[in-house]
Amino acid sequence: MKTNDTKSKNKIFLAIILLAILVIAAIVMYMVFKQKTSQGSKAITVSVVYDDGSQDDYKIRTDAEYLRDVTDEIEELEIDGHYDGTSFYIDAVNGVTADYDADGAYWAIYVDGEYGNYGFEKQPVADGAAYEIRYEVWTE
Amino acid sequence: MALPMRFDTKYGLSNMRDKKAGKKLSVRDIVLLGMMVCSLEVGKLALAMIPNVEIVSLMIIVYTVCFGVKTIYAIIVFVLLECVFWGVGLWTIMYLYVWPILGIAAYFFRKIDSKWFWSVFSAIFGLLFGPLCSLTYLVMGGLKVAFGWWIAGIPWDLVHCVANFVVMFVLYSPLVRLLRRFGRFDGEIDKM
Repeated sequence: MKTNDTKSKNKIFLAIILLAILVIAAIVMYMVFKQKTSQGSKAITVSVVYDDGSQDDYKIRTDAEYLRDVTDEIEELEIDGHYDGTSFYIDAVNGVTADYDADGAYWAIYVDGEYGNYGFEKQPVADGAAYEIRYEVWTE
Repeated sequence: MALPMRFDTKYGLSNMRDKKAGKKLSVRDIVLLGMMVCSLEVGKLALAMIPNVEIVSLMIIVYTVCFGVKTIYAIIVFVLLECVFWGVGLWTIMYLYVWPILGIAAYFFRKIDSKWFWSVFSAIFGLLFGPLCSLTYLVMGGLKVAFGWWIAGIPWDLVHCVANFVVMFVLYSPLVRLLRRFGRFDGEIDKM
């Protein structure tokens, strides 16, 4: 009877060891072989030029199609804005607000140094391009 | 004359008449199988909305411990019923061997009456459910497909593993006690 008990206890112990090994093996296999997210296919630079002339540069690989989707992927970059009709206008970048009504200030988009014609939300993203979100003040 | 009811680790809950009849199914066995299949099907449906939390493993193990080899008939009918309800798909092929493997594996350890052992056993089965099912993909799509399918499902295998452990740990003892009591009750009816 005692031998049977010991045998059973041994089997339970072996089963627990087997389970532990299998769990660890499964976790290791998953960590090693799980589907990895591929890096984005487009390498671009997004720069922010503030009102005082200082600048932040963000280099990113992305698959995003539009500039706004890219900036959403950059955790350090915070952009606030509003919709006017169907267009999205940037109000503040990283806490720096441009108030057009107060002093004619606004955030402009530049692509490879040229003024962007599509707006922040509709600006297509191309591999190797440099995008700039620049604080500007309208003067007549 | 009614023959004495006894619990037998090979034939499960049976009386001497069952023993004499060998592995032939009696009318009572058929009723018992009906109840087993019914509970398996209802148990599966009842928890179908919770991914990888199921009581089919629990019932197959407990039935194998209590009723021995007869459980394999219940498993076969259960799988056939699944095909009738849901149609034939890849998962049907998986079910055709996964649940019988569980029953056969449990049969080899049926003499161990420990909720700890069966909880760990059921947890191991939960963890191996993915790899076992991926064998179908091995045949259908090759090693790469089967391996990828298994790896992608490992988090769910772990859920299955934990859920099986908890379910077995909580329900093994009460269910086995109930089924053995059912055996004694059945014996009383037999004497009438």
